[in-house]
This record gives sequence, C-alpha cells and structure tokens, in this order.
Amino acid sequence: MNPLARRLTATTALLTALALTTACAKSEDDAAGKSSGSQGGGQVAAEPTKGAKTCTIGRYGGKKLDLEKATVGFSQSEKEANPFRIAETASLKAEAKKRGVKLLSANAQSQFSKQISDVQDLISKGADLLVIAPLNSDGWEPVLKQAAAKKIPIVTVDRKINAKACDDYVSFIGSDFVEQGRRAADQMIKATGGKGKVAILLGTPGNNVTTERTEGFRDRVKQKAPGLKVVFKQTGEFAREKGQQVTEQLIQSKPDIDGIYAENDEMGLGAVNALKSAGKKAGDVKIVTVDGTRNAVQGVTDKWIHGVIESNPRFGPLAFSTLDDFTSGKKVAQTIVIKDRVYTRANAERDLSKAY
Amino acid sequence: MTDTAAARTAPDRAAVHAWLQAYGVYVGVAVLLLFNIAFTDHFLSAENFRTQAVQVAPILIVALGMALAIGSEGIDLSVGSVMALSTSLVALYLGYGPWIALLAAVLGGVAVGMVNGSLIAFVGVQPIVATLALMVGGRGLALVLLPQLKDVRDPGMRALGSGDVLGVPYPVLIAVALVAVVAFTVRRTTFGRQLLAIGDSRPAARLAGLPVRRVLVYVYIASGALAAVAGFLATARLQASDPTSLGTLMELSAITAVVVGGTPLSGGRVRIGGTVAGAVLIQLLTATLVKHDLPPSWTQMAQAVVIVAAVYAARERGKR
Amino acid sequence: MAEHVLSTRSLTKRFPGVLALDRVDFGVRAGEVHALIGENGAGKSTLIKVLTGVYAPDGGEVLRDGGPATFGTPLAAQQAGISTIYQEVNLVPLMSVARNLFLGREPRGRFGLIDFDRMHRESERILSEYGVRTDVRRPLGELGVGAQQMVALARAVWVDAKVVVMDEPTSSLEPREVETLFGVIRRLRDRGVAVVYVSHRLDELYAVCDAVTVLRDGRTVHTGPLQGLERLRLVSMMLGREIGEVRAEGTTKFGGDHEAASAEPVLRVDGLSVQHQLHDVSFAVRPGEVVGLGGLLGSGRTETAKSVAGALAPSAGRVTVAGARVRTGSPGAAIRAGISLLPEDRKTEGIVPGLSVRENIALAVLPRLSRAGLVSEARIDSLVGTFMERLRIKASSPHQKAGELSGGNQQKVLLARWLAAEPRVLLLDEPTRGIDVGAKAEVQKLVDELAADGLGVLLISSDLEELIEGSDRVVVLRDGAVVGELTGDEVTEDRLMEAIAAAAEEEPHLADAAPGDVRKAAAHD
Repeated sequence: MNPLARRLTATTALLTALALTTACAKSEDDAAGKSSGSQGGGQVAAEPTKGAKTCTIGRYGGKKLDLEKATVGFSQSEKEANPFRIAETASLKAEAKKRGVKLLSANAQSQFSKQISDVQDLISKGADLLVIAPLNSDGWEPVLKQAAAKKIPIVTVDRKINAKACDDYVSFIGSDFVEQGRRAADQMIKATGGKGKVAILLGTPGNNVTTERTEGFRDRVKQKAPGLKVVFKQTGEFAREKGQQVTEQLIQSKPDIDGIYAENDEMGLGAVNALKSAGKKAGDVKIVTVDGTRNAVQGVTDKWIHGVIESNPRFGPLAFSTLDDFTSGKKVAQTIVIKDRVYTRANAERDLSKAY
Repeated sequence: MTDTAAARTAPDRAAVHAWLQAYGVYVGVAVLLLFNIAFTDHFLSAENFRTQAVQVAPILIVALGMALAIGSEGIDLSVGSVMALSTSLVALYLGYGPWIALLAAVLGGVAVGMVNGSLIAFVGVQPIVATLALMVGGRGLALVLLPQLKDVRDPGMRALGSGDVLGVPYPVLIAVALVAVVAFTVRRTTFGRQLLAIGDSRPAARLAGLPVRRVLVYVYIASGALAAVAGFLATARLQASDPTSLGTLMELSAITAVVVGGTPLSGGRVRIGGTVAGAVLIQLLTATLVKHDLPPSWTQMAQAVVIVAAVYAARERGKR
Repeated sequence: MAEHVLSTRSLTKRFPGVLALDRVDFGVRAGEVHALIGENGAGKSTLIKVLTGVYAPDGGEVLRDGGPATFGTPLAAQQAGISTIYQEVNLVPLMSVARNLFLGREPRGRFGLIDFDRMHRESERILSEYGVRTDVRRPLGELGVGAQQMVALARAVWVDAKVVVMDEPTSSLEPREVETLFGVIRRLRDRGVAVVYVSHRLDELYAVCDAVTVLRDGRTVHTGPLQGLERLRLVSMMLGREIGEVRAEGTTKFGGDHEAASAEPVLRVDGLSVQHQLHDVSFAVRPGEVVGLGGLLGSGRTETAKSVAGALAPSAGRVTVAGARVRTGSPGAAIRAGISLLPEDRKTEGIVPGLSVRENIALAVLPRLSRAGLVSEARIDSLVGTFMERLRIKASSPHQKAGELSGGNQQKVLLARWLAAEPRVLLLDEPTRGIDVGAKAEVQKLVDELAADGLGVLLISSDLEELIEGSDRVVVLRDGAVVGELTGDEVTEDRLMEAIAAAAEEEPHLADAAPGDVRKAAAHD
C-alpha cells in the first residue's frame, strides 16, 4: 500500500471515530424535557354521521379470533425522524404491549417498493391482522390480493388507499385534512377579525395533505370572511428551514402581512424564527399551524403562534379497538375520522402535555 | 454570397458564446437586480439585501468547495449530506459550546472528504460514483447520530445565526472570508496551480511529477470541510439541527452556481468570482419568484433553464 | 486538365492573434494524390479542418466539383464524399472493430435489427485487404495504433469517398504497415479517388504523391506536380530559406560523436521488467552520452522510457541515478532523482493545454519556486523568461494558452519544463515527431548542447536517420527485450537494420536454446 494511502486511511479512521463517537459527545439538555410517545391524548373518533357505511367480519370474510392471542403486523411508511411518525409508531407499540398482543413492525424508509415487500414479509411471518400507514394511495393491488387469499383484515391509518372498503380492506382511520384546513381558517378569521392579508406556507407540492389542507382553508375563508385575502402562497416543503427562508422573503416584500397559515408546525416554527430575526414581536403576525407538536404548542403558550390544529398521530388505541370489535364480530365503520383537538391560548398551557 | 455571410458571422457567434460563458452570469445578476428594483416592492432596502445575503451564504460556501472539485475534473455530490452530518454533529457537541461543535462538524466533513478523496485518488472510483455513495450514506449516518430535529438553545450559537458585526451578519462575514481564502488558494498557492493542471490534463500532470493523488484528496477534504461549515451556519440560522431536510438538493444548487459562473465541467479552470455571482444569481432567482408569488414549480423550472443556458454556453466554447 | 474535385478559393481563417490561412488557393483532382506540406504552424491542419467542415472559414470559399460547398459540419463534408483520417484515430475505442467499420451504415436484418453475422463476415473480408487480421468482435481500442489506423482508412474508403484526406497517417505505422497503406492509396488513386496527403516525411511524398502544395505562414507558396521537383528545393520552400543554406546546414543537425565519457554511468537500468511488456531490460547511460533506443514500433522502447521515468510501474528491476536507487512507479520520485521524460504523446501526456505557456514551463518545479506553499511569481517570470529566450519559443506572450501553440513550440515548452527541473538524465521519446523541419533542427541541436554539458540522454526515434546521427550508442530492443547494442563505427543505419532483422531471425533459434524463457514470455502475451 502506498504510504500516503496508509496514512490517509489511518487518519480517516481516527477522525471518523473522533467526530462520530457519541462517547464523548455532549449535547445540550433539552429544557422542555421532551416526552414524545404514547402518553397524552389518545384519539377519539368523531361522531359517525348517520348512514355511514359499516363493515362486519361476515361481509369481509374470514373468521373471528381473539385479538389477545393474535399477531398484528404494522407497516410504517417513513423513517421515525419527525414527531408525527415517532408518536404514531410509539402509540401502536404501547397499545399492543398494553393489550398483550404480539406486534411485528417494519419501516419502509419512504420507499414504496420496500413497503410492499415489508407487508408481504409481515404476512409470511404469520401476521393475522395488519395495520398499514401507507406511503402512497395507489399500487396496493398485489398485496391486497395476497391478504385477501388469507382473509387477513387490514386497517389503514393516516392515509387512505385506493381500494374498496370492507372488500379489499376493513376500514380507514385518519384525520380529515380538509376539515383541518377549515378549522385553521376559523382560527385565522378569529385572530385577524376576518380582515386583512394572509399568506399560506404550503406543504410539499403534489402531496394530498397539502392539497386538502389548502382546499379547506381557502374555501372556509372565502365563505366566512371575504375580507381576508390570501396574497401569498409558497411552499415550505413541510421543513422548518424552507419555511423560515420563504417567510424571510415574504416579510421583506409584504411587510403589512397580517397572518400566516403554515400547513404544518415545522414551517410555522420556521416562520416564527424569521419574524423574530426581523425584529417583530409576538402576535404582530398571527400564525396558525397544523399538527400539534410540542414545540408548536409551546409556541402558543409563548404567544408567537395563535393556534394549532391537531393532527393526532396516536392511532394505537383506536386501531386496536377497531380490530378488537371487528374480530369479535361487531360492526365497525368503514371510515373512522378522528376528532382532532385545537390548541389555543385558552388551553395550550393546560394541554401542553398532550402534544406530541 | 450567403455562404460567405454565414461564414463571417460564425466566429462572432463563437466569441459571443465565449463571452457569455465567462460573463453571462454577471449580466444575469444585473438583469435580476434591475427587474427587482423596478417591479418588486420594498426591494431596495438594507433589510432585504441582508436577507438575501444571509440566505445565499451557505450555498456560496458549498459552491466554493464544489468549484475546486469541478476544477479538478471531478464533482462532489456528497455536500448536502455533509451538511446534514454537520448539523447532527453540532447537536451532539453543542454541550461544549459552539466552537467545539464547529470543530466536530468540520472534522466530520474532513473525514467524509478523505473517504471521497481516497476512493477517487487511490481506488480509482469515478468522482460521481464515490461521492454518490457518500451522498446516500452520509445522510443515513446523520440520522443515526440524530434521529430527529433538535432545537438549539446555546446563546452563542443563536447569536451566530442572527447577530452581526457592524451590520454584516456573521454568516455573510464568514462566507466572504472563505471566498477570499479559496480565491487566494487557487491563484497563489502551488496547490492551486497543481489543481488546475490536474483538472486540465491528468496524465500530463502525473508525468510532470505532480502529487496528483495528494492534491485530489485535499480537494475533497476542502469540499467536505466547507460543506460542514455551511451546515454549521445553517444550523445556527435555523436554531435547530435538522438532519432530515438540511442541505437537501444543495449539491444541485452548488453545481449550478459553479457552472453558471463559467467554471467548465471539464476541469482545468476555477472561476471564484463567477461562482459567487452564480450563487447570487440562484438566490435572486428564487427570491424574485417567491416575492412575486409565482407557483413553486416555476422556481425549479427557472433553475433548469439557467443550467441549460450555462451548459449551452459552455458547449459552444468547448467546440473551439 | 481535369476539374478539381475539391478546391478552395482565397480561403481565409483567423484565430485570436493569428492569421492561420491567408487567401489560400488549393485544389485536388480525381485520381491524384496531392501532398500538402509545410512547417508546423504553416496552416496545414487548419486548411484540412476547413475543408472537412470542422472550422468555418472567415473568408473565401470551398468548392466541390467547382460549385460552392462550404461545409457547416464534418457530417456535411462526409455526406459530400469527403473522408478524413486524422493523426489521432477518431473512432470509438470501446466498440468492436466491426461496429467501428460499419458505424452509421450497419447492415440491417429483419425488424431493422443489426445483422451482426453479416457485419462480422464483411468486416473480416474488408480488413484482410488492408493486412489486418484480427477478431473483429474485439473492441477497437485493443488493437495497435497501426491497425486502428487501417480500420479508419478502410472505413473511409468503404463509405465511397470521392476525396480522402490523410493527416500524417504514417506517424504511428510500422514500415510494413506503411507499405500496405501506400498500396491502398495507389489503388484509391487508380479508382479515381482524390487523396490529400499530409506528411513531414519527404521520402513518403516522393513514393506516393503526384502533386504538391507548399504552405508557409498561412499562404500558398507553391503548387504543382511533384515529379521533377528537387527535394532540396521543396525543403527550401517550406523553410523559406535559400537552397545553399539548407545544404550547408543539412536537414539533420545532430552533431557527430560526443565525448564518449569514460565516467561512471549517470543512469543505470538493471533487469527492468513490466508484465507483458518488458523482459529484463538492462543498459546504462554515461554523462554526456546520447544512447539511442532502437527497435520497431511495439518493441518496448516507450515502455522502457516510461518505466524508467516512473510513469509505468515495473514488476521487477531497478533504476539508479549516479549510484542512488530510485523508487520506481512514481514520476515525482524519478524527477527528484534527476530523471525527466519528454513523452511520446505530447498532446495528452505532455502539454496541459488550458494552462498558459508560463504555467506549463513552471509546472514540474512549482514546489521549488514556492515558499510555504505560496508561489513566487517573480521567480517564475525569470525562469520562464530565460527558457523562452533560450529555446526561442514562439508565443504571443507567456500567458498564451499552450494548447494554441504549434507542435514544435509545444515540444519546446516541454523541453523547457524539463530543463527547468535541472535533470541529470533526459529521456526523449520521439522528440521531433510531428514538428516542422525548422523546430526539428533546433531540438536536435539543443539535445547536442545538453549532452555536451554533461547530461545523459536516452533517445527514442522512429526516424532511423535521426537515431543514427544523434546517438553515440544504440541499444536495440525487440519484443520487450534487449537484443543487441551498436557502438562506435557500428552505429549506422545498415547495422541497425541488420540488428533488428537478425534478432527477428534468431527468434526460433532462441526458442530452441531456451524454450522455458520464451514460452514464459509468450504466455504473458
């Protein structure tokens, strides 16, 4: 080996060890004492509308079984690198533990092809029931066929799949993103008095969450507060950094902006950063966000954020009770919409512990 | 007659292309500035220029390293992931204060650069492949070190992100200093001369006895270290370590800045002034589209147009 | 008299700072082999490039069969029946020989798919006419340069060219291949094809050409039939000098024998081997001595020079300079030990085209001209000034790009680079190939001077005359091994040819004597 190469290899190894070893790392203590996880507010299903479609095990096929003795497979779509996914996975694991159910889980790391093989894997490993957090709505046919052959009941959480309920899968549990947009609009109207100029920090373009949260907000504003004008709509890609950068541009070109609707908490927190470094004071620009992470709810108590619409990721209790009802022969709704909380100045301090 | 007319315009066109490749970026910056001064509300304000300067700083710092890599007839795709790695390392070491955290981040960047450089110089892996591996692996490692976003509370670090000296924000100050250092290195040091010779003709440089491998390793170390500094500054700015999204697509912005700035992808030349202007051009382009509230997809398409224009100018030049 | 198939009228081409072509008139007829000659920088390459659509002219026009036909692209020229064979083979090295031959005109079978069987059969048939017998499925790049050149020629002819332009086609061919080439050229001529032939080798011109056009400084100085034109007259037109002068100076300026120094060798090479290429090569060079390395193309001359200079890693053997062993496989170590190599492939391994003349000259000695990693511009300027003057390097300024210079001047820049490194041994691999007569004489004179100053020189040249006149001794190589050495009075062309030929004849005999060794060597290939 070339002497230079040898020296480099040694140095690289040493440096890597030095830089990456966590043994001597010393990160900052988190003042907030984060406690993400399953405790705090579990989900509550919204009142089912009359005549909503239901599903029974008789119609779906398959046989009753005792959930306590069954094996449940859970397929997560994205890496648990954001609070939503962390809380979602933790909630399912905690509920399984509480009920003494055996839970197999897999993470698709944002690759749809991996999610498909993950689910196939779970089936072959003997999952009797499946909970899936889908990455995409489409492309599920091969897996559904396989599950149907074994009559495995499937519940999808947080995103629907394009298939027939109570035929290809049992039910969908999730938030109504359009409704979240409407409720964010209500908060914005209340904060601004229904007049003025607002900006929207959009999520990732082409994402259904983005489209639905935008649609609900826009329609509600149009209908209830025609005096409130949306003058700016730019994507922050659901990331804090982009939210901050876009807001920096916004407050330069439109210093008279009255409110910012951020389609997730991270972008809202980015907007807060931008407003702070531009010398604005808390409350100068009304911010409404969606998700309900601890940081954002903390922002409400600090008065920087006016309101946070929750998108509750704690699917564990509701998913398991749905599966329990279904496997013991009871009727379950085909679409179970979660009743999301709203954090405002009135309840933020009290409910901070419920944020994830 | 028409033949001779066509023949006469040909060299003029080539000359125009050569000129455009070298100076087109400055024209672009000037045009965008004039457009914004005329049509964008509140554009001519100290606050606005400050915002643009602060936002462009990380792009510029990464582009400096990219310019060195491209000048050596290589490329460094791992820069965005090095920023992510840097932000994770900052979170891990911020307990010791910002300077130790910066040191840890830069060491991380240097380590990645050494791996890149060794793969390229000793194993003979193509730069695009070697750095692609670390582009994928680097972010993975960053997420292992820090699985989710973590807020920065250190007051020193926060000051770095939002404070200034005589009205010049720290990130801008650091970027300017690094531009000076890199420009000096390219122009006045043996390393700079050797880098250009290697980028222009590797076999000739080797036969002339230049330490080709060592220079290449240093190039990628420099690129890694610069990307790490950019990651550190972005962290200070965001007041949070966010390994999931920090630095995503940064390699594209940096390559665009370098190429638009007139540095040929075929190596052998590094234009620092052009790279600065290229980074500013990208920033102004984004700012213009955002300020005028044009659909976000337009920003991407506009960037694409700029790249194609730059590469087209380079192609005409290369033909001669 | 027949019409010109391809001609130019008052053709002008400018480059920044240079008038490369100045109202050039040139014409070639069907069934004529027309030589185009001139010193480097006279405008031959530019003229060819305008003729074949690579460059657009700034004035004047190109005529095809008497009608205006300035080609915008090389493709347009090809479609007009003009094929070009460049000095450097411009085919696709990774594609098979057959694919290269048929590129763009592949025989189609059913469904429009390429009919590979037919293509391979046809290729073998066509190439055998050119003396190339090889597996046509192999990548072109695996063939020797000569064979590649033949493939390029076969392709050019095969596409039904009316005009074939050859730019120094013999520069990388062996004598046998040259004969084959001449045969092909004569056949083309008989078929009515017009051939434009560019070469520096006067022998070749007289052997194969019918007419000649001489360019100098971008102008046509003579055009007419070659027969009856005296050789010396031709040279004087190229150089723009009077006949007497040329005769007095001769065409080769190497001085006679050097002080055959009895001193200790400055360079000693012992048992140098490179896998598949060199087998146990040993020789020594004394200070002030020019040692020639003789042999045919592919005999291992270049490989020997490269492995001595560290550019090629030997599998065995050692190199010592003035008694001190040199680390092999590292050009840097060789240079520090005082070994400098002027490589055969000037364009890719010598000149750094995008850097200035100045940077090129200073390249190898940058560390010496720097303090703490910072370059001293003043020291570079003085060094560059000295050498540009001493070697009479013609450039618009030291800051002109080296890639823009003519071949001769590029070679001088490289010599300057190596002289700046203050070597003790200079390895010259084809130092005068592809450069004009004037520069050639200057380079040869310089080598003489350097040897007189006590430098050890190893000279490689395909030009026998140059090798014989320039060397004090000649070491003869064949198939990667030393097969003989000529000293003193033995250093003549005849004896050298004999040495090469004898070695060739001895081979079977050798195989009998030491079967093991030869088989081992053969197994490597």
